[in-house]
Amino acid sequence: MGWLRRAWITVASEVAWRIPGRPQRLLHAFSLAERGSMVDVLFAAEATPRRDLRRKYFLHALDEGRHARVFADRVRALGRGDRAEAAVEDSGQLVEAGISGGLTLFERLGEDDFLAFVYVAEADAVEQFGVYLDRGLADPDTALELRTILKDEVFHVSYSRAELERMRKDGKPVDRMVRNRRLRRLWERYLRLTRDIGARVSGVWLTLLYFVALGPFRLVARLERGGWHPVPPRAPDALAAARAEG
Amino acid sequence: MATWILGVSALYHDAAVALLRDGVVVAAVQEERFSRLKHDAALPVRAARWCMAEAGIGPEDLDWLVFYEKPLRKFERILSTSVATFPRSWASFPRQMHAWLGDKLWLRGNLCSTFGVRPEKVLFCEHHLSHAASAFYGSPHDNAAVLCVDGVGEWATTSLWRGRGHTLEPVGEVRWPHSLGLYYSAITAHLGFMVNEGEFKVMGMAAYGRPRFDPQLAQLLRLEADGAFSVDLDAFRWHWHPTEAAGPRLAELVGPARFPGTPFTPELAPGDASPAQVAESQRHADIAATAQRQVEAAMLHLAHHAKAQVGGDALCLAGGVALNSVANHRLAAQGPFAHLWVHPAPGDAGGALGAAWWVWHQVLGHPRGAVLDRADLGRSTPRARSKDWLDDLGAHPVDVGDEAPERAAADLAAGRVVGWLEGRCEWGPRALGHRSILADPREAQMRDRVNAHVKYREPFRPFAPSVIAAAAGEWFDIPPAAAAPARFMLSTGPVRGDRRESLGAVTHVDGTARVHVVDPETSPAYHRLIAHFGELTGVPAVLNTSFNLKGEPVVATAVDAMATFVRSGLDVLYVDGYRVESR
Repeated sequence: MGWLRRAWITVASEVAWRIPGRPQRLLHAFSLAERGSMVDVLFAAEATPRRDLRRKYFLHALDEGRHARVFADRVRALGRGDRAEAAVEDSGQLVEAGISGGLTLFERLGEDDFLAFVYVAEADAVEQFGVYLDRGLADPDTALELRTILKDEVFHVSYSRAELERMRKDGKPVDRMVRNRRLRRLWERYLRLTRDIGARVSGVWLTLLYFVALGPFRLVARLERGGWHPVPPRAPDALAAARAEG
Repeated sequence: MATWILGVSALYHDAAVALLRDGVVVAAVQEERFSRLKHDAALPVRAARWCMAEAGIGPEDLDWLVFYEKPLRKFERILSTSVATFPRSWASFPRQMHAWLGDKLWLRGNLCSTFGVRPEKVLFCEHHLSHAASAFYGSPHDNAAVLCVDGVGEWATTSLWRGRGHTLEPVGEVRWPHSLGLYYSAITAHLGFMVNEGEFKVMGMAAYGRPRFDPQLAQLLRLEADGAFSVDLDAFRWHWHPTEAAGPRLAELVGPARFPGTPFTPELAPGDASPAQVAESQRHADIAATAQRQVEAAMLHLAHHAKAQVGGDALCLAGGVALNSVANHRLAAQGPFAHLWVHPAPGDAGGALGAAWWVWHQVLGHPRGAVLDRADLGRSTPRARSKDWLDDLGAHPVDVGDEAPERAAADLAAGRVVGWLEGRCEWGPRALGHRSILADPREAQMRDRVNAHVKYREPFRPFAPSVIAAAAGEWFDIPPAAAAPARFMLSTGPVRGDRRESLGAVTHVDGTARVHVVDPETSPAYHRLIAHFGELTGVPAVLNTSFNLKGEPVVATAVDAMATFVRSGLDVLYVDGYRVESR
């Protein structure tokens, strides 16, 4: 299946790097992903019971933070047309960390599966960046940065693989864990895709609803005027009023 | 049996929780300090978990959980606005409905499943009432006018309340879409900054400008004869456009919008910019100065109305606009009230504590409690755990124990930039000596160094001084009414003329500073640090800025602090009495 993945990455990369404006979006997405990874791995550095791993996670997180900044700098250097996105980026706020339901990625997966996740994600990144460099897709300055980042990613692959090997010696089903992580990533991509499709479809229906159902009421609806408005008196039973959502 | 109340604010920005035991604050903290996502809006699960663990209770022990706004009333406003702005709102309607139908409309169930409480324990407080309660119940005033000014809650964007004893009565409100907070945000976006984040930058930029766009912008924000204000809704789009706050009219009046990241080189700080670039930056500064002046005038106008309607000599302030420390100073210096009180977290996060207090005092009828005189209500880590973390990260911490304040003062006097983490996190956005980056305030070059090499932020942004309470009056001109806000760094004030040279790094270009007055009772370690710095240098003040990098929340733990320490140009780090040097 490796050849299929590489073929897919190659085709997707060719498309992404050759369309004007797309490299900026791609690098912006990388910047978000790296910042999110920094947060995820920093949580692991706090939460791991293994003191020998804490420092590795910490250094890994610092790498991810640096990569996020480098990618954001490249976006700025290549120029971004959209004001709103640029404002967000200027504040450095957008992050896509793996926090869900109040649990960090590390808490959800546990140490072993988290390491498998790190290995799979970083190995994918090495492959992806390798394709960009092999095919000369990135501009020279970005390519230079990618080479440096690639070295860091190789370190991340190495330490996570070494940990997986250690787990294998302890009799843990490492191959199955890695396979499950890969399948899980595929499944999550599928979910993202279907969610996006669902959002677009429901967007169409909601837009139809807007024009069909809301339009007639426009005749009676008015925006409020400025200035002070009186406030209706509060209900005497404060507790009953507090239970109401409206 | 004690009564436990958990206040929750979430789903817009700055999600937070506050836990009360018999009306007393046990803990209050924003979710961003756990999730590391700045302004995190998600339901604050981790923050709640930590607060309850800190109190030694579980969800089953909670008597009430109160959410800081009424979701159905907010939904009604969104639907009504969509109808009233038909068909212009066609693009925003599906987006809003996605969020509401998918999640926000089922809030009671979500709160129950997320926090593990039964439905009958869940209460809802109005958004502006949460703000009003946060300001009034923490204040030392038994009778006060309470003014809340923000973007929008359910319908109100500005509200006035009469606070008496343990009750809050509504007096009046300005309603959506007329909003002072959103007006300032629209200007923020026009100046190329991110809304809900860049408003501080506009305030800093304003000092470089002159309010020469007053005639133009006065057409957009009008002060009304009834004591309120109105906005020219044809010029703005926040009530119908999914992403844009202002329409083309703003650009027609004041010129095109600034592109984010454009270097700011006004006449007072031109650097090596070309005359055209200087002129353009000056225009941006003048827009900021005009909008800032307008907001100050509007706040004064509202305060005079509050005085006429409610009377008394105290004004309590909350809502996001209460973070505008320049406007707060003007209210204190020129306003009609002798006392001003601002909640340390006047934005949406503070609504969590306000809502909880409202349940305790107004719904359950309990009398007023202690004044909120400190902000260190948030997350902390046991000292031994921090030590283990620092050891594991190879930081080689040195235990200086109780001497940390004096050692840090000596570091500052030697020109080192210090990361200072002590005790619990601050409640609210300001770093008040528990999660701070500190530096010598005497030379202007230090400001440039911290901006460029420590925090990696724009060179025009000023830094605040922390000064010991006993010396504050000698160094800064703080009006008596601003004494309370200055404790939480929520008011600016002129640096006294003869002291400006000694405070080069913290005196802004207009001769003012956002003063933080440090009290020995509520911040003993930090007070000792500054006092010792004063003994060493003759200046009883330090440069104080939040311990974070651009775009990140303030650090919470030793690991966060180390990550920031390593990535910034900090020289020394103190974590609860452990000293780490940069290598």
